[in-house]
Amino acid sequence: MNDAEEKKLALSHMWIAFGAFLIASFMGAYQVLERSGFLPIIESSRVYFASVSSHGVLMAYVLTVFFIPGFGYYTATTSLKQPVWNIKLAWAGFGVSLLGTVLAAIPLLTGSASVLYTFYPPIQAHSLFYVGATLLLAGSWVWCWIMIVMMGQWKQANPGQPVPLAMFATVSNAVLWLWTSVGVALEVLFQLIPLAFGWMDTVDPGLARTLFAWTLHPIVYFWLIPAYTAFYVFVPKQAGSYILSDELARVSFIVLVVFSLPIGFHHLYMDPEQAKGWKLLHGIGTFIVTLPTLLTGFAVIASLEIAGKLRGGKGLFGWIGALPWRNPMVLAMILGLMMLMLGGFGGIVNASYAMNAMIHNTAWVPGHFHLIFAGTTVIMYFAIAYYLWPILTGKPLFSQNMALLQLWTWFIGMVVLSTPWHILGLLGQPRRISSVQYNSPLTLAWDTFELAMIVGGLIMLGSACLFVYNLAKTQLNSTTETYKGEVEYAEPIYPVARLPEFLNDFKIWNWVIAAAMLISFGYPILQFFFMDTFESSGWGY
Amino acid sequence: MTQLSEEEREKIIKSPPVGTWALMLMVGAGMVAAWLFLYYGVFLPRGAID
Repeated sequence: MNDAEEKKLALSHMWIAFGAFLIASFMGAYQVLERSGFLPIIESSRVYFASVSSHGVLMAYVLTVFFIPGFGYYTATTSLKQPVWNIKLAWAGFGVSLLGTVLAAIPLLTGSASVLYTFYPPIQAHSLFYVGATLLLAGSWVWCWIMIVMMGQWKQANPGQPVPLAMFATVSNAVLWLWTSVGVALEVLFQLIPLAFGWMDTVDPGLARTLFAWTLHPIVYFWLIPAYTAFYVFVPKQAGSYILSDELARVSFIVLVVFSLPIGFHHLYMDPEQAKGWKLLHGIGTFIVTLPTLLTGFAVIASLEIAGKLRGGKGLFGWIGALPWRNPMVLAMILGLMMLMLGGFGGIVNASYAMNAMIHNTAWVPGHFHLIFAGTTVIMYFAIAYYLWPILTGKPLFSQNMALLQLWTWFIGMVVLSTPWHILGLLGQPRRISSVQYNSPLTLAWDTFELAMIVGGLIMLGSACLFVYNLAKTQLNSTTETYKGEVEYAEPIYPVARLPEFLNDFKIWNWVIAAAMLISFGYPILQFFFMDTFESSGWGY
Repeated sequence: MTQLSEEEREKIIKSPPVGTWALMLMVGAGMVAAWLFLYYGVFLPRGAID
C-alpha cells in the first residue's frame, strides 16, 4: 500500500509537536533558574508567569494534540492496512489546530494570557487565547471522528474479526478525548469566552472549576494512552517477545477510558463548592483507575520477562540483565515504568483524602505531574519517534547511540529535577510562585534543593536538544542509504480469533460512561443553577 | 542470542511470569511502606491545622 500521504500527515503533526516541545523545554530551564533567585538579573514575575503559561500550554496541549493524532493516523493506516479515511478532512483538522496554536501563542508570548495552563477564573486571559484554544481543540476532534469512522469501516469489511489491538487502543483514546474535552469546552464556550469578550460581567468560579475537573484528570490518560499503546504493541516485538494477553490489554484500555472520566474531584478536595460525599465518590474512583495501570505494568513486564528468558536470562530476576537495553523502545519503557512508579506513588498521596491537605498546592504537585507527563508519557513519545522516524522518512536513524544517551539523560534529569521538587513540597514550598527568596531561615533552607532542580532542568534541556537534533539529522541527512522497514506490531502469545463485542467496540462503553458521568457530575453541576452563588468579575485582561 | 529448541521456547513463553509477580509485589510493598511512612511519620505528627 502506498502510504506516502499518511507519512507526510504523521510527520507534519509530529514536527509541530516536537517544535513546541523544544521551545517549551527552553522555557522550563529558564523557569527553574528564575525561580531559584540565584540570578537576580533574570528575575521578573511578569516574564516568569508568561513563560510558565506558554510552557504548560505548549507541553500539555500543543505537543499532545499534535503528536497523538500524528501517531494515531499512522497507526490506523498501518494496523488496518487501509488509507486514512478522508485525508483532506485530516489535513483540515491539522490546519484548524495549527491556526488555533498561532492565535493562542500571540497573547501567551506577549504576557496577555498568563493564566497558567489551567482554566481557573476569575483569572482571565485575552480573548484571543480562548479562541485559539477552542480551535486547537476543534481540530483534534476531527482526528477523533476519523479514527472512529475508520474502525467502523474496517469492522464492516471484516465482520466478526477482532479489531487490531493497536487500532483498538487508538480509538479508545479518541473516544476518551471526545468525552474528556466536553468539560473544558463547556467552560470555555459558556463562561470564559463570554467573560473575555465582555458579554458577561461576572463568572462563577465554582462552576468553572467543576467543569475543568471533568477534563483535568482524564486528559492525563489521553496523554498517556499512546505510551501504553507502545507498551503493548511495540515493546514486546522490539524485545523479541509477545503480548501476554490481547484480551487483558483491551480490558486495560476500556477500564482506563471508563474510570478516568468520573473522578476529577480529587483536584477539588480543598474546594468549598462541592460536598464531601461527592469528593469521596470521586476519590474512590481515583483508586480504581490505578487498576488498569497495574494490569498494564504486569502485562508488559511479563512480556519483558519472556524476552529476557528467551535471550538466556535465568532465575527470578536474571532476565532483566538479558534484555536488549540498547533498543531505544525497550530502554524507554523500562525508564518510563520506573518514573511511572515514582509518579504513581505521588499520585496516590495526592488522591488520599486526608493527606492531600499536606501537599495541596505545594511544589509536590508539579513534581508529581512532571514525573507522569514529562517522565513516562514524553519518554515514550521519544521512543515512538525514534521507531517511526526511519519508516516515515525512509532514512536510517542518524544515531542510535545518541538516542540511548538522550533517553538516559532525560531520565536522570527528571529524577534530579523532580525529587527535590517533592521534598520542597513536603517542606511547604507553594507551587505557582515566581520567587522563593524571602531571606527567611525557612526559604534559605530550600537553596540546595533549588540548585539540584537547576542541574536537573539543564540536563533535561540538553536531552531535549539531542532528541530534536537526532530527528532533524535523520530527516535532512543527505545520505544515499535508505530505510525500507515497516511498522511491526507484536503478536499475542495466544492469538485471538473471536472476541465478545464488548471487547471489540465502544458502543456499550459509551453508555456506561454516560451513566457514570451523569451520576458523578450531574448533580454537582446542576446545583449551580439552583442555588445562590457568589460570582466574581474577571481579573487579568 | 541463546540458541533454544522449539520446546524450550514454548516452555519459556507459556511458563508463569514469576519474576514479574515478585517484582510487582516488591514495588507494591515499597509503595505501601512509603505511604505508611508519609501518613504516620510525616502527616499525622504535624497535627491539626491551627
